[in-house]
Amino acid sequence: MLSFYFQELMRSLPYFLEGAWMTIAVSGLSLLAGTLIGFVCGIIRAGRNKLLRAIIGIWVDLIRGTPFLVQVFIIFFILPSAGIELEAFPAAVIALTNLTASFICEIVASGIIAVPKGQSEAATASGLSNYQQLRYIVLPQAMRTIVPPLVGQYVLLVKDSSVVSAIGVVDITRVGWLTVQRVPEGLMVFGLVGLLYFAICYPLINLSGYLERRMTIVNTKL
Amino acid sequence: MISFKKVDKWFGDLHVLNDINIEVAQGEVVVVCGPSGSGKSTLIRCINRLEPIQKGEIVVDNMAVHDKKINMTKVRADIGFVFQSFNLYPHMTALENTTIAPRKVKNMSKKEAEKLGRKMLTRVGLEDRIDHYPTQLSGGQQQRVAIARGLCMNPKIMLFDEPTSALDPEMINEVLDVMRDLAKEGMTMMVVTHEMGFAREVASRVVFMDEGKIIEVAPPNDFFTNPQTERGKYFLASILTH
Amino acid sequence: MLEAFNFRVILEYMPLYGQCFLATLWMSGLALLGAILVGIVACGMRLGQVRSLSVLAGIFIESIRSTPLLVQLYFFYFGLPTLGIMFPEWVTGVIALTLNSGAYYAEIIRSGIQSIDSGQTEAGIASGMNYFQRMRYIILPQALGMTIRPMLGQAIVLVKDSSLLSLISILELTRAGQLLTSDRFMPAEGFLTTAVFYLILYYMLKWFSSWSEKRLIFREAH
Repeated sequence: MLSFYFQELMRSLPYFLEGAWMTIAVSGLSLLAGTLIGFVCGIIRAGRNKLLRAIIGIWVDLIRGTPFLVQVFIIFFILPSAGIELEAFPAAVIALTNLTASFICEIVASGIIAVPKGQSEAATASGLSNYQQLRYIVLPQAMRTIVPPLVGQYVLLVKDSSVVSAIGVVDITRVGWLTVQRVPEGLMVFGLVGLLYFAICYPLINLSGYLERRMTIVNTKL
Repeated sequence: MISFKKVDKWFGDLHVLNDINIEVAQGEVVVVCGPSGSGKSTLIRCINRLEPIQKGEIVVDNMAVHDKKINMTKVRADIGFVFQSFNLYPHMTALENTTIAPRKVKNMSKKEAEKLGRKMLTRVGLEDRIDHYPTQLSGGQQQRVAIARGLCMNPKIMLFDEPTSALDPEMINEVLDVMRDLAKEGMTMMVVTHEMGFAREVASRVVFMDEGKIIEVAPPNDFFTNPQTERGKYFLASILTH
Repeated sequence: MLEAFNFRVILEYMPLYGQCFLATLWMSGLALLGAILVGIVACGMRLGQVRSLSVLAGIFIESIRSTPLLVQLYFFYFGLPTLGIMFPEWVTGVIALTLNSGAYYAEIIRSGIQSIDSGQTEAGIASGMNYFQRMRYIILPQALGMTIRPMLGQAIVLVKDSSLLSLISILELTRAGQLLTSDRFMPAEGFLTTAVFYLILYYMLKWFSSWSEKRLIFREAH
């Protein structure tokens, strides 16, 4: 019986690979958009405009304070009632982008704040504009603190993307869920699902750890 | 009291202790000096096996420290160790710092241990700092608490690993004063330090090390006025001009 | 959208929300206690001297961290019955949450322990303390102070993660939103109310986190 189910599972392998492709597509798009928006918001959050800082602060708290599943439901079910029809895929990308951006925003802001004040003072003293200070002095130093948690955030992104299976995006998790209805071997099916996520996440986790160690070494050398 | 016989130690390829032979008698104060990286800290850290050795014998008060089977708890309880960076426990008051080991290692009652702790803190001149946390104390005060902590084990030997190198200049003397008193009372001490005034005044002998070897052993007056080796002369010149 | 917001329906469903709020609270609480326990044990095994236990704990921690909670939840939900183990849904849910957060707690505790200066261990060794005495009196009391903030951070994550239990039809806050949505087709009322309840929990934990941090800092410096 078990071997029969195993063969059945192997026959479903193409679906799993399609699911993996979907997971990568959803995560990849959200990663790009989320990083971009996160950096912009983070720079503003570490800046001088109090109103903008407060607004971004509230947004970050709202996203951090609610479960991602609830955010997905809100975007998927409520936006249509406000007249914006959304397919599951764009809804998923929007939700993940929003989530990722809010976390990256905090990472970037604290990275910038961690750069000693003397650095921007020295830059001001030598006549660099605000933009030039950010571009040439502050951000390059902040990157040391930003990059390791950033990669960690990407791992979270891939894992959180499993939640969008709840609105019918056919990612790895959804394929597992569909398969388990036919092949009632939960351990085997979700063991395989887990393995696929592991294959994506584990290298990223190690990359994050490696970067963290390297950045610490670079920091102490300074 | 302490005896090194043909002791060798390596960190990887680095030969940090090279054929060390030395005897320290009871009541002796031995100052160990030498350039940084000469192995002087490693030397005294081997005595209570903070660092294990690979060859040779170290015997402390008739107990063979190099023997892997020996119970080090007993040996260590008889040796007070004072670190360069104090290593006080930041979550405990000065008194708690001094009483934790007597209570847990020697199973002393809390009351008894606190009585002892107070006595030792008074001895190092900190009777009014008993309930302070390490962060509330100056470097010199912290190091004196660390000495009191060592004394609370009622040790036969006190080891000092550069006890004043992490201190601001104005605090060095308060720590050295405590150490002078200890020496006068007949404590067996090994002190790694660059404080040559202290060495001259209280040391029975000075051990000069370089590149993992003992280069010279001499009474302080002989060593400071008439070092026998080129390396000793060079070392003395470099710390005097400095 | 807002002018059509139906507060009366929310009021009508308030008893359900209250019940679900409590369910979220006690299931998270139970999982939290379990997770800290799992974390301590797993960390002890990981850092301990027995190599096989250390490897085992390592595999547990890495495989949890490299796969999504939802997949772990499905793994137990669909998998345990195939082993002949029949638990009520909520037990399965709490087990998944416990093991998941347990792995993260193990890492938090480990980094707390490893952040303690090695001089502390040496001082303990020099005064004749054995491994357990050093852990009990010197290392753990300090590590606890260092880890209070990440521990509470993980507690916030745990509460939010418990929303995934709604996907295996456990009655809790997110499920309440789903019910309101499917009964009355009012997703805005349903999920926004759910979000508000989560935000209450979030702000409470966040406040507690900064309060305990201030107290700790005060104790160190006063």
